[in-house]
This record gives sequence, C-alpha cells and structure tokens, in this order.
Amino acid sequence: MSVNLDLSFLHDTERGAASTKYRDEALQGVSNSVHASNFTAPAVEDFDAFQREVINYVKPAHGTTTLGFIFEHGIVIAVDSRASQGPYISSQTVKKVIEINPFLLGTMAGGAADCQFWQRNLGIQCRLHELENGKRITVRAASKLLANTLYSYKGRGLSMGTMIAGWDLNGPGLYYVDSEGTRLKGQRFSVGSGSLFAYGVLDQGYRWDLSVKEACELGRRAIYHATFRDAFSGGTVSVYHVGKNGWTKVTGDDVGELHFHYYPSEKIDEDSLGGLGKKEAEERAAAEATAMET
Amino acid sequence: MNQNGSAIIAMVGKDCVAIASDLRLGINQNQTTAVDYSKLHKIHDKLWLGLTGLIADQLTLAQKLRFKHDMYELRENRVMSPKVFASVVSTTLYEKRFQPYYTEPVVAGLDKDGKPYITSMDLIGADASADDFVVAGDNVESLFGVCESFYRKDLEPDELFNVIGNCLNAGVNRDCLSGWGGIVTLITKDGPITRTLKNRMD
Amino acid sequence: MDVVFGFVGYDFAVLVADRAATQQIIVQKSDEDKIAVVDGTKIMATSGPRGDCVAFAEYVAANVRLYRLKYQHELDVKATAHYARNELATALRKGPYQVNALLAGVDANGPELYFMDYLATCHRVNTGGHGYGGMFCLSLFDKHWVPNMSRAQAMELVDLCVAEVCERLVTAPTEYLVKIVDKKGVEVIEYDATERLAKRREVQMQAREAARQAAARVGA
Repeated sequence: MSVNLDLSFLHDTERGAASTKYRDEALQGVSNSVHASNFTAPAVEDFDAFQREVINYVKPAHGTTTLGFIFEHGIVIAVDSRASQGPYISSQTVKKVIEINPFLLGTMAGGAADCQFWQRNLGIQCRLHELENGKRITVRAASKLLANTLYSYKGRGLSMGTMIAGWDLNGPGLYYVDSEGTRLKGQRFSVGSGSLFAYGVLDQGYRWDLSVKEACELGRRAIYHATFRDAFSGGTVSVYHVGKNGWTKVTGDDVGELHFHYYPSEKIDEDSLGGLGKKEAEERAAAEATAMET
Repeated sequence: MNQNGSAIIAMVGKDCVAIASDLRLGINQNQTTAVDYSKLHKIHDKLWLGLTGLIADQLTLAQKLRFKHDMYELRENRVMSPKVFASVVSTTLYEKRFQPYYTEPVVAGLDKDGKPYITSMDLIGADASADDFVVAGDNVESLFGVCESFYRKDLEPDELFNVIGNCLNAGVNRDCLSGWGGIVTLITKDGPITRTLKNRMD
Repeated sequence: MDVVFGFVGYDFAVLVADRAATQQIIVQKSDEDKIAVVDGTKIMATSGPRGDCVAFAEYVAANVRLYRLKYQHELDVKATAHYARNELATALRKGPYQVNALLAGVDANGPELYFMDYLATCHRVNTGGHGYGGMFCLSLFDKHWVPNMSRAQAMELVDLCVAEVCERLVTAPTEYLVKIVDKKGVEVIEYDATERLAKRREVQMQAREAARQAAARVGA
C-alpha cells in the first residue's frame, strides 16, 4: 500500500520560491567563495607534515581564556585579549568575542584566522537562514551549522575552540563547538590554556540566581585570575551579557589596572583581610588555660 | 632555556650601575607559581649577580658563587672586584662545558675606584662586557630594543633608575613568560638601593 | 594524576593529598598516605611515581633525623627545604627523582611552605599545588586565601578546592588526607569527599532544574 504525500509545498510556495531567488542571488556574491568545497588541498604527498610546517607561519591566538555561563537572567561571556606566538606576545588587544548578529556571540580560542573566518561565515549562514525563513535562527541551529562546517574539515588542520551563545525563542542557549567536531550544549564552559584557572573561580562562585551585576563580576573575576596565573592569557577582560533583547558589552578592563583594583598596592592592615587565625589561637589558648584550672 | 621565564637588564650610569630583574617564577611553561621571585643575588655591597634560565641551576649557581666569594673574602680579607668575580663565574660555568648549567648570568658592580663594570655571559661562560647595558633572559630581542632606544650615556642615579625600570617594564610586556612586577638595585659609591617596580600582572 | 596542594595559616600549615595509588588505569589502593612526616613539625607531600616519592621522602626524613642526632641541632624548615632541593638538584643530572613536593613546617619563624618540583625549583610560597589538580586550586587560592587564616577558615578553603577538583578533574579521587602541622605537632584529618560531592551535585541539579523550568516558561 502506498501513501501519496503532497510535498509540493517544499518546492513552490510563494515564500519558498522567493527565498530561493534571494538565496541564489545572495549566494552568488558570497557563498561560492567561502563554501567548503572551494578550499583546495595542497598538492603535497605528506599532508600532515606540510600542515606542521605551515602552522609555524600562522598567528595562533594560542594562549587564551574564554568562558561563558547561563544563569537566571541570561548568559555572561567573558574573554581575555592576548595573542601569542610562542612566548612572544603578538597582541594585547585581540577581539576574542565575535559578534555574529545582535542575538548571537561567538568566542575565539585556537587559531585566530580560523575563528574569525568561520564565525563570519556562520554570520552569513545565519542571515541567509533569516531571509529564507523569515525568523531568527535558533542558537541550537546556528551552533550546528558551525559544527557541521568544522566537521567537514576535520583532520585538515583547523584549530578552534569556540562557544556560541545567544538568545532565541527557547531562551538562553550556550554551546561549545570545536574543530574536532565536538558540539556540546551546556550551562558553564571555559575554553583555552587558562581555562583550568578560570574554572576554579567560576565553579565555586556560580549560582543560578546570580544578579546580572554579580554574574558579570564573576565572569570578570574568573578571567582576571586566569590572566594572573596563565602566562599565555592577558591584556583586557571583556564581559558581555546576553539577555532577551540581545547582547550588550558590559565591561572592558585593562588587566594592568584591574589587578591593582582588586589588590591595591598600598600596605593594608592584614587583620582587615578576614584572617581569623589570631582570634582562634587566642580562644584556644584561653580554653586550654581554663581546662588546666579545672 | 625558557622553561621558567626571566628578564634581566644591567646598565651603566655616571659613577653608578643598576641591575633589574622581573619577579615571575613559572613552571610547566604557562603556570605562574610565584610573583616574588627575584633573580638578583647580592655578592657584596657593590656587586650583584643576576641569573636567568633554569631555576634549579640559578639557585645552585648562586649558592656556589656566593660560597666561592665568601671563602675568598675570608682568605684574603678583601672582596672581589666585579671583573675578578666575572672571571670566577666564567670558569665556574666552563667547568661544566659538556653538561652545562642552563643559566645565563649578568654581573654588575663597582670596583674599588668606583668604576662601573657590567657583563653578561652565555651558559658556558663566554663573557661579553659592555660599557652601556647588557640584557639576558628569554626575551632579549624586546629588551635590547627598548634599551637601545632609551639608554643614554652618563645618567645620574635617579635617571638611571627610571630608564632601567621603564626598559624592563616595556620589555617584559612583550613576553608571556616574564614580568609580574620587577626589582631594581642601584649601586652607587654610597651603597646599594633596592626598589620594587609595579607592572602589569598578566 | 596525584592531587596535592597546601597553604599556610595563622600559626599552622595545611597539606592536602589524595589517597589513591594508581598504576596506569588501575586504582591499586585508596588509603595511601602521600604526606610524609619528616619530623614532629615538618611534613612533606609528594606527587609522582610512588617509588620515587617514598624513597625521596624517607631519605630526607632519615637525614634530617641523622643531622639532629649528629649535631644536636634541629634543622629549621628553610634549611630542610634547601637540603631537599639540593638532593633533587643532584639527582636531576643522573636519572632524576620524579618527585614534586610541598614541604610545610613550623619553626621559630612561624609556619612556612616550600614549593619544590622535580627540576629542583624551590621557593617559599603561601599557597601551592602540583599537577592538574593543583592548577584548579591555584586560582581559588588567589581569590579565597587571606593571611592569618584560622583552622575553620582553612578547612573551608580545603572544602572549596576538593569540590572543584572533584567537579573538573577527569580522574578525581574521592578520598583525601589532610594534615595540619603546628608547633605542637601534626594533626591528621581523614577527608571523605563523598559528602562534599553529594552537596555539589545537589547544587548542580538545582541549577539544571531551574534552567529547565525557565526554558519551559519561555516556551509557554
């Protein structure tokens, strides 16, 4: 028994037809030159060895700390801004948050060029999706588009560890996507060489019901501690907040000043720092003295 | 050589010398373990030794050289001049020609006539003394660059302090593995003055 | 993947180490003591291959004791640290001890903690840790450690560090040993992380549930 399904709506509804036309026009300008199949592989026998050699010439944003987390009032994204080539600091002012569109942010760790190019490419794909469907793309779909792109290049030497964060009809969404093809949905991520340090502060300071202000400060603080301990992270700490009306940039602080904001260099009274050891020792001594008497 | 991260500069001024180092102690390349680790070692009031490179060898060599100097002082009842001390450092390093200490020293001091002397060496003791400035560490290109730009002859002590401090700070700010504050010792005929420098902590 | 960390407090120093002795992918033993008592007021936590660690710790402890018997003079913490470092430095050039250590002790100068690694680095610190576990703790120390901590505050900080290690480290051990050294001697605390883990898990589940409910509200 066969069922005849009318699939014509897939081909020639009014909007569908129009959008195909728009898409074709749009694609002519951009997509042809950025589509996966247009990147030719080098004509070498040993591709891996070639990649290893050539990677020395590209500027990796290798040392990096980025983080993102979802809480009650949206998402906080925080990043550092250092780019290094070996031990040399090639820039302290790299923009590691990529503003894909007013509702989507991407973060950057790994190869700077790879991240910049493919997230801009993702921006194009998201815009086309909007034109085609008449509504904004979901974070889930956007991250999947990027993951698919990266997966198609697996083994070709791309180096990316990114987070895609945004607000859509399902509320806040946060995904981790990397050049191995991993794509993870989550509430709390940190990526990069300083991520271990950032996780320490982030995990232990995290609560679902943080206020926006507290959450932004937590993100800033976690990145600051990572820049302090990790040699390859530094520069400025940028903090973004994503809410239901899209993202806003909240703070951008030079770590050179931020450190002395958290730890003023004037000599401060150690008792005021919260150490209760002296009090405890005195109490203990007093208790022992009483015990001796009785 | 750049396991732990370090930056040292020594500069000659008018009847004075200054030596400066960063304060970072790093392990496993990227992890900053301490930010109060001075790489300068006092030999006597008018002679300082700076050591870059592997921390283990910095500590071993500093102890060994201090011991040699102090024994000399006890024996001869006088301290070593910078030049003499530099050749002791040099021969001590060359003793390990085929299994070297992984450290590049900088020596700075005033001799008994108050004449400045600075020198730097490679890890097996080839010394290269200079009459302006010497640098050592894992980021000598940057340090040389700023020193070439800002160094002037016959600086007065306080000017020299400013120049060396600014050079160190500017130099380490292009290096991941050194920085986190600095320390400067200024040696004049009246004795040494040591001050710490404030710098970026990332 | 040993987890070893420690810090100093007001009149004491704390060392924490996990209790797992592992061989490749196997946990051979879960009540190992990785914090050797050098003498009454000095303790040393080690991380690395067990053979090296035990040999090194026993060697240091024996020689510190020998020194005391020979010269009727007790080495202070700094001297012990320098002695241990020297042994590491000598060993470095001939098949090293693969030992990373934290030496804590209390003497006339108050509590002290020395950080040492197998490359014979040695430096006095307020807080320190080894391995990946230690790295997770370092930023927590930077944020939460303050000078002159009380024992109660110290244990809270240990709680925080253990919770973080349990949450993020792939092969996080569940049992830890805490040793607190002060001028009177060494106090041993068996630290069971199960409770800590359960509490952490509860917080996580709450956050997840809250997120789910929030998503449902947006959807509706």
